[in-house]
Amino acid sequence: MRAFNAELSKLFSLPGIWLAFLIGAFAPAVIAALDSTAQKEKIIAGVSTRLSEVGYIGLGLGVQGVIILGVLAVSSEYLTESSESGGGNQITTSLTVVSSRFHFLLAKASAVTVISILLSIVAILTTVSATNLILGEYAPAFEASRLIGAVCYWIFTALLAFGITVLTKNGIIPLAVLMINSSVVTVSYLLAKVTKLAFYLPDKAGVDMFMFTSDSFHTPFTGGLIMFAWVAVLFIVAAIVFHRRDVTS
Amino acid sequence: MLTINNLVKHRGAQEILSGISFKARPGRVTGFLGPNGAGKSSTLRILLGLDRATSGSALINGKTFAELHNPLVTVGAALDGFGAHRMRTGRAHLRWIARASGLSRSRVEEVLEIVGLTNVAGKRVGSYSLGMGRRLGMAAALLGDPKILVLDEPVNGLDPEGIRWIRTFLRERAESGNTVLLSSHLMGELEETVDDVVIINHGKIVANGTLKEVIGNHSTLEGAFFALTSKNAGDVV
Repeated sequence: MRAFNAELSKLFSLPGIWLAFLIGAFAPAVIAALDSTAQKEKIIAGVSTRLSEVGYIGLGLGVQGVIILGVLAVSSEYLTESSESGGGNQITTSLTVVSSRFHFLLAKASAVTVISILLSIVAILTTVSATNLILGEYAPAFEASRLIGAVCYWIFTALLAFGITVLTKNGIIPLAVLMINSSVVTVSYLLAKVTKLAFYLPDKAGVDMFMFTSDSFHTPFTGGLIMFAWVAVLFIVAAIVFHRRDVTS
Repeated sequence: MLTINNLVKHRGAQEILSGISFKARPGRVTGFLGPNGAGKSSTLRILLGLDRATSGSALINGKTFAELHNPLVTVGAALDGFGAHRMRTGRAHLRWIARASGLSRSRVEEVLEIVGLTNVAGKRVGSYSLGMGRRLGMAAALLGDPKILVLDEPVNGLDPEGIRWIRTFLRERAESGNTVLLSSHLMGELEETVDDVVIINHGKIVANGTLKEVIGNHSTLEGAFFALTSKNAGDVV
C-alpha cells in the first residue's frame, strides 16, 4: 500500500501527467462533438446508420490520455539525467526504496489503473454532455453496460502502454506507435480487411466492448476477455523481464 | 555490517568482478577505492539489489537486499547522478520516497535541512547544480535514518565546502556506531575520512585492511594506491 501511495505521489508530481489528464478528459468530448455535428442532420432525418456509435466513438479514439499516462509512468523512471550530473536515473532510487521488484511493478500498475478509471469517468461525463448538448433529444441513450466497457477499454489500453514501456525502457517508441495506432492509422483496422485474425488484436477486440457497429466481431464480453488476455500476457512477460534485468543494462 | 563474499559478475563475455570479498564494519568508514571501471559501482549495485551477481553473495546484516522489508530504514544509498526525475522538485522527490517507506513529511524537511537544500527544495531538480544534486541524493539516503550508508563517489562534483561537509558528516555517522561504505577514485579526499580501505583493480581486490595497513611503507594512500594498481594485482595486504 505504501508503494502504491508513493507511485500515486510520483505521478501527480510529474508535470507531463497533467497533459495526459487534459487530453484524457477532453479529447473524447471534442471527437464526439465533431462527429455528432457531422451526423446531426442524418440523425434528425432518421437515416443515420451510425447512431449506435455516436458519442462512443470519442471514447474509442480519445484514449491518448491514458496512453500517455501508461507510458510516462514507466519512462519517467528511465529518463537519463544529463551527463554532467552523472547520468543516473530515478529507477535506481525507486528500487533501493522498494526492495521487491514485483511489488514495485504491481504498485505502479495499480496507480495507473486507478488514475485510468478516474480519467475515463471524467471523459464519459464530458463526452455524454457534449453529445447531449449537440444532439439534444436525438442523442442516443448511453447504457451503463457499454460505458463500463469503455472504462475497461481505457484501463486495458493504459496497461498495454505500461507493459510495452517496461520492455522498451523508453517512452518514445510506445508513445509514437500507440498514439498513431489509436488515432491516425489503425493497423488492426487495416489488417481486419485482410484477415479475420486481426479481430483478435487487443485494440480491435477491446473496442467491441462498447462500440456496436456493423463490423463488430465479438460480443462485448468476449472482446473484453481477449483484450484482458493480451494485458495479462504482456504484464507477465514484462514482470519476468523486469525481474531478471540488471538496472544498468 | 556489509559482507561481500566471493562475488563474481559477468556481463556478456566480460568478467567485471572476479570473486571479490570484503566487509564493511559498524563504527567505521570503509573506503572502496579503485580506478574508473575497476568494478566499484558494479559491486555496490549488486549489494543494493540493482544488478544480479553471477555467483557469490553481498549481504546487509546477513540478508540480501531483496530480503529487507523496508530497506530505507536499514540501508541508505546514493548512487551515480541525482537519482531523481528532472521535472520534479527536490521536495516532491523526497516526499514520494518518504511515502514509500512510511516516513513523515516532517522528516523530509529535516533531511533537507541536514544537507542544506531547504532554500531550493521547491525548485525543479533539473535546475540543480551537480553539488546540489549530490546533496539531494544524500538526503534520500538519510531519510530513513539508516544504520548503514552506501555511497558511490559521494565527493564527486562537490565544492571544497561540500567535501568538507561530507567528510565531517560521515565521520560523525561512523563514530555513533553506523556503517559507512563509500566508493571513490579520489585518494587525497579520502585519506582523512576512512578507517578501512579496500582497493579494487580489474575486478580483483588488491588491498584490504585498515588505512595504516594499506598505506604501509608508502607516504600517502595515493602512493600506496598507485603502487598497488599499477603493478599486477596479487598480494593482498
